[in-house]
Amino acid sequence: MRMWVYVVRRILLLFPVIIGVMTITFAILSALPIQTHLIATFGASKIPYTPMVPCSDVGQPGNGQCRNPTYFQLVHQLGLDQPIWVQWAEYMKNSLTLNWGTVNYHSNAASAFSLTTSIPVTTVLGWYLPYTLELAALSLIIILAVALPLGNYSAVYRNRPIDQAARVMSFSGFALPGFLLATLVLFAAVILSGGATPTCNSNSTHYFDWYGSWPPFPQCANQPTWIGTYIQTSPTGFPTIDAILHGDWFLAGESVRRMLLPALVIAYGSVAGILRFVRNSMLEVLNLDFIRTARAKGVPETAVVSRHAGRNSLNVTVTVLGLTFAGFIGGFPIIEDVFYLHGVGLLLAKSIQPTQDFGLIFGTTLLFTIIVVVANILVDILYAYLDPRVRLG
Amino acid sequence: MVTELPGGGRMTPVIVPPKGGRPRPGIAQLKRTLYFLSRNTLAIIGLAIVLFFVVVALFSLFSPLSNQSLQQYCSVTYGTNGTVGCQPVCTYDASSGPAPAANCYPTYSGNVGFVGPTVDLTHLTGGPLPLGSMQVSSGTNQYYYSIYDGLLKGSAWSLGIAATIVLSGASIGLVLGAIAGYRGGYTDEVIMRFTDIFLSIPGILLVLVIVASFAGYVQGLEGRMLLLVGAFIITWWPFYTRIVRGQVLVTREQKYVEASRASGAGTGRILTKHIIPNSLYPVFVQLSLDVGAIPLLLGGLIFLGFQIYPSPYFPEWGAMSANSVANLQSLIESCQFGACVFPWWQILFPGLTVFLFAISVNFLSDGLRDALDPRLRR
Repeated sequence: MRMWVYVVRRILLLFPVIIGVMTITFAILSALPIQTHLIATFGASKIPYTPMVPCSDVGQPGNGQCRNPTYFQLVHQLGLDQPIWVQWAEYMKNSLTLNWGTVNYHSNAASAFSLTTSIPVTTVLGWYLPYTLELAALSLIIILAVALPLGNYSAVYRNRPIDQAARVMSFSGFALPGFLLATLVLFAAVILSGGATPTCNSNSTHYFDWYGSWPPFPQCANQPTWIGTYIQTSPTGFPTIDAILHGDWFLAGESVRRMLLPALVIAYGSVAGILRFVRNSMLEVLNLDFIRTARAKGVPETAVVSRHAGRNSLNVTVTVLGLTFAGFIGGFPIIEDVFYLHGVGLLLAKSIQPTQDFGLIFGTTLLFTIIVVVANILVDILYAYLDPRVRLG
Repeated sequence: MVTELPGGGRMTPVIVPPKGGRPRPGIAQLKRTLYFLSRNTLAIIGLAIVLFFVVVALFSLFSPLSNQSLQQYCSVTYGTNGTVGCQPVCTYDASSGPAPAANCYPTYSGNVGFVGPTVDLTHLTGGPLPLGSMQVSSGTNQYYYSIYDGLLKGSAWSLGIAATIVLSGASIGLVLGAIAGYRGGYTDEVIMRFTDIFLSIPGILLVLVIVASFAGYVQGLEGRMLLLVGAFIITWWPFYTRIVRGQVLVTREQKYVEASRASGAGTGRILTKHIIPNSLYPVFVQLSLDVGAIPLLLGGLIFLGFQIYPSPYFPEWGAMSANSVANLQSLIESCQFGACVFPWWQILFPGLTVFLFAISVNFLSDGLRDALDPRLRR
């Protein structure tokens, strides 16, 4: 099979998964009571959103329960009285055309981010996604920089002190609650850096305060014009890249420096899994015949490990990368909440608190899912590129 | 020694039966596993700590309730001079109805394993934070309970919740994975595509979404536990399905399965007697890993602000460590009012318990993997 055929086929397989995830969110949404949808869309009302209300409420004679015309009108307006498959089709049509609804400005998330008007969910996600992606990329770089050499060392010096130390270190990262470690790291940073609210003075080095280390660009009077009201940057939206594009090296450095602590916490928490995989795949490769041959013909041990074994165990490592990515991105809401990083995770963390914003909850979940699925596809393509047997299979 | 087979053929037996009984390969296998496990120091340490927690949990089920020790409730207000006011409180059985007065707290005395607000210990610290007690904020109120009581009674809840989630998820995954792997074809396709959809939602986001959507509509202890455990099971079964299917695909090609099929065994017998028992070991490894992760994840849920437990002082390890961390910020801010006590014990003890449990379970699972997988034994 040609490479591009493989790539196209792999991308086409994306759609069933996305549609399936959208169906799950639709199932959860339609299991919610109708009142919830009405309150979320139209706000709290003087007349309760129930089919039957006391007659005095709707201005009809009698003391009993009367039909509530407002309720049925609003239910019809939302289309909730239609058959479930019609609702599903409508939901899928809107979801696939990126019509994900608007932010409910009564919700907790809207007040936390000062979203006062009904901004489309996709717009808000577009502002905050680059922050999450930058954080994910930085954590991934740290994870790989630690796991690859350490995993290889653990395999070569199997069951020796360095292997045991690596094992204890990686397991402790897995076993420490992320929120606990993140908070302690943040507080230590506040105390060590002399902790103060970030100021607008461009030479200030107070990176952290009790509420987190982000956003990297404090709201200032002399704020650069390329930073918007909601700390979205232009033209690309990626804060570090935009700062570099505008030649503001101080803000670029600041952005990376503030991202470093959350990235380290995330990396520490998820390095365990990939370290184990690198070690085990390296162990398997080291036991193969061609390694013995290489040793027998007198190749130096460092070359055997780095060139013969290292290259061959890399294929397995690439596959684990996809799995690790799915694992650690699930922890983003907590870490972003602690460091107050303006990413999609913080958006989710704020929107699940009452008053919930269901548009944002399902939008962020869907976005995280898409990130993971796309990352998996990229990994698969990379794997196929590295190992031709996969393409042929 | 040569045996006469019923069909007239001849074969040389490979296993020599021990004196006075038929061979017990299962027992021999278990002995071998235990032997390899006992050579792994970290795994033995892990096993010891896990067993300790299990014993504590069993003990806590039968230890008397400490609700009776409830005497006073201290409401802490950080005024200009850090004033502290204590008032007598009452408790009421939450299952019997609403609170009879404003400062009454639900205790669920019918359920084993709840703690009540603790006695006032301020005289020990000279500050507003009782040493050895846990602070919980509920609205504008802050009150305390004993960390020792909380951890003791929380052991039963934490281990119970974790075991329920993991065992249910593993059972569903085992059945679906075995069917998918053994039947193959369309059955496999349908089950695995369904599994893939659930697997592509990262981490505990599905739990977050389910709990956030329905938390407002469930009442009482049973409803909330059902929601929490149900949300986790929905998130968890696909991992086991994928693991089991992968293992079954390998197992079903083995010679002994072929032999069993050749001698006329049905699908059910092959699945239960040969395929499932021989596909179990990765499930054990994953199971032990997940049990340790669940208190951490529950703590994460509490930290994000979910009121998933019926009472703010519900004794569960994850909730306790999350509450302690969430309090830290407000406590440090209070330093500027001169009432500054760093509550290290609130963070250390619950955090250490969660950490010890998770890491010991990890060591154990790592040891199990090495002991059960013959390829890693070399």
